[in-house]
Amino acid sequence: MLQSSLRTSHKVVGLRYLWLALVSVFLGMIMSLIMRIQLMWPAVHFISGSGVSPASYSALTLLHGSLMVFVVLSCAPQAGFGGYFLPTQIGASEMAYPNLSRIAFWITVASVFGMVAAFFFEPQSGLTLWVAGVAVFCVAAVLNALNFMVTTIDLRAQGMTLPRMPITVWAWFINAILSLLIFSILVATCVLLLSDRIAATHFFSAAALSLGVPASSAIPAFPASWQRLFWFFAEAQVYIAVLPCFGIITHLLATFSRRPVFAHRAVVLALCAVGLLGFCIWGEHTFAAGMDPNSPLVFSLLASSLGIPASILLVSWFGTLWNANAKFSTAMLFALGFVSLFVSGGLSGLFLSAAQFRRAAQGDDFVTGHYHLVMGVAATFAMLAALFFWFPKMFGRALDERLGKLHFWLTFVGVYCLFMPMHWLGLISRLRHPANDLTAIFATHSPYGSLQTLVTFATVVTVAAQGIFVLNVAMSLVRTPQASRRNPWGATTLEWSSMAAASQVSHRSHITSHLVIHRGPYEFLPPNLRFGGDDFVPQDSPTPALPPTRPTAFGPGPEPLGST
Amino acid sequence: MPATNVLDEVEIVIDDIGRGGGNKPPSHDDHRGGGGDDGSHRPRRPNPAQSGQKKYQTAILLGMVSIFMFFMALSAAFLVRKTGKDWIQFRLPGILWLNTVVLLTSSLTMDLSRRRLALGDMVGFKSMWRATTALGLAFLAGQFVAWRELVARGYYVGSNPSSSFFYVFTVAHAVHLVGGIGALLYVLFRNFNKTRVSLSVASEITSYFWHFMDGLWLFLLALLYFGA
Repeated sequence: MLQSSLRTSHKVVGLRYLWLALVSVFLGMIMSLIMRIQLMWPAVHFISGSGVSPASYSALTLLHGSLMVFVVLSCAPQAGFGGYFLPTQIGASEMAYPNLSRIAFWITVASVFGMVAAFFFEPQSGLTLWVAGVAVFCVAAVLNALNFMVTTIDLRAQGMTLPRMPITVWAWFINAILSLLIFSILVATCVLLLSDRIAATHFFSAAALSLGVPASSAIPAFPASWQRLFWFFAEAQVYIAVLPCFGIITHLLATFSRRPVFAHRAVVLALCAVGLLGFCIWGEHTFAAGMDPNSPLVFSLLASSLGIPASILLVSWFGTLWNANAKFSTAMLFALGFVSLFVSGGLSGLFLSAAQFRRAAQGDDFVTGHYHLVMGVAATFAMLAALFFWFPKMFGRALDERLGKLHFWLTFVGVYCLFMPMHWLGLISRLRHPANDLTAIFATHSPYGSLQTLVTFATVVTVAAQGIFVLNVAMSLVRTPQASRRNPWGATTLEWSSMAAASQVSHRSHITSHLVIHRGPYEFLPPNLRFGGDDFVPQDSPTPALPPTRPTAFGPGPEPLGST
Repeated sequence: MPATNVLDEVEIVIDDIGRGGGNKPPSHDDHRGGGGDDGSHRPRRPNPAQSGQKKYQTAILLGMVSIFMFFMALSAAFLVRKTGKDWIQFRLPGILWLNTVVLLTSSLTMDLSRRRLALGDMVGFKSMWRATTALGLAFLAGQFVAWRELVARGYYVGSNPSSSFFYVFTVAHAVHLVGGIGALLYVLFRNFNKTRVSLSVASEITSYFWHFMDGLWLFLLALLYFGA
């Protein structure tokens, strides 16, 4: 077991991140179920024997958020799928620093233990342990980001120029840049907060004793300072969660549509813009924290500007799909589900970018519904799409399509019934209870009407539907690997290429393999052409370039990217 | 819905291949990496021995970016917190100026040692490198003296926000400097015949980090002098 834990292969480490995320997502779902049930029946003491306390409910919310945001959303798409496939997709045999990947994984595990264990402590000491766990998690994230960036910059195979990189690699790379910057900021913030809690400093509170007054007197703390530092990280963090998903979805839509990515370069620029703007709009979350009166206008404008790269991505996705002879596998369904959820959740984000509305909606179900749709569920759909897509590559056998489609439809309908009504609930509760306190919310929610019941029922059904997914995975893993279908989806990127697999030699120096890349990542052929019986040309195939793909509704089809 | 056009003829075009790899074209004095676009149409194989060295330089530069962001977050918190009414200014320990001179001198000896290495003078390289290490340790000792002086004057970690920031800044810098000293010792004692990284690259990236720590200290000293 010790030898197994010391293995540094990027595929092993990537898989471990995915297993960690899988366990965390189910723990997180159970917690959300408990929270929903508690809200419906506040008199029943689920959480603690002495009754429902705001502290224990808040601790559950914090733990749910920690596991979902940090472990599932930040780890699985990037360190999980990225760690597994980034080196292969650029033609490298390993990450730049394999040992660093392994160390970062075990640091992440330690941080998760810390965050989970915090739930079982007294509130104050539990919170200190949680902050320490987060700080440790950030260190691991920085190490991973560094590894990703060095690998992408220095270990690309011969011929793998920047235009020839798959969109997934671009997304992982831009995400790594963002991660490197903002997790460093959160480490500093956590150091200051831990110092306040352990060493009795006053970074975020007034040093009352130095003024000769008791600490308990009403001297205002400095929460705004903490808020600004935290949201500087957290706003960019949502884009860390969603950027790899953009890359994965773009990749899958192209593959299953059998079309190059529409406006490939614009998509890359849009990903860069999302990363850049995400770094600048932290003030979106501090409208109610006493900012300069002119700053909400600036932040609102910047936040609204995110609509531009988002629109570019949407146009690209629709342009790729337009008139395409698409294959609606489960992975493709989840990818389309992502697009739907992203549009729905993104539209509510437009409302939240307005300072006045955001100030009013602070802390209620409208915000909850929005970010769950766009960050939680949409990202989860992207991860499920990626899992269905890459499962044959990772495990040598595909997931069952029928179970997968059943799982998709139940989940898709379930999450809409779960999170869409929250927008309406948020608006209505704002009218009924302007003050945002838990007692009022409990009083509002417990006898609430059919909408609350619908949300709880949808929660139960959606969580239960994930059992189908667990069954599918278990049955598929038990099945014998299918040696015959190396590339069941007809994908063009290097992880599916037999030539790439044969030329990559795994050796201790982990240098760039002797692979040569000759073309772009999404060369699919028009119906009148075939290459070896297939309708695509792998990136490492040294065959001649091909005529343009068939025309689209917007004009002549895009050139294959082999000549760029 | 517009009908798709079926191509009547297939025109095959032989494309130029090998438009450049993932690395920059090699410079005339550095055979770093492979795969640059040197005008030939044959893809060049990467040089295994040298393409792996560049990743160390990239890694240390990115690591410095991360450390920079860490200290910038602390600095931002410092500047905001400084506006509080409970902010008490205090005189910095005088030894900090001596420590600064020591650290700047260590950068000088570091640069001298690398010049000796470039000339092939291993003895000179090692002696200057040891001097750099000693000066780094002397800096840390001086910081310890500064902390003791502050404690003796009654300024503890939690006394007031200004002293808290002083300790956080100086301790964080010292922790990173310890990492730098570790790298110095690694270069001093490691047998580079058995490692993937070469002595010249290891000394180069260590020097980047050391100079960065120098510059960072100057920034922190200025921040504390004018702020705390």
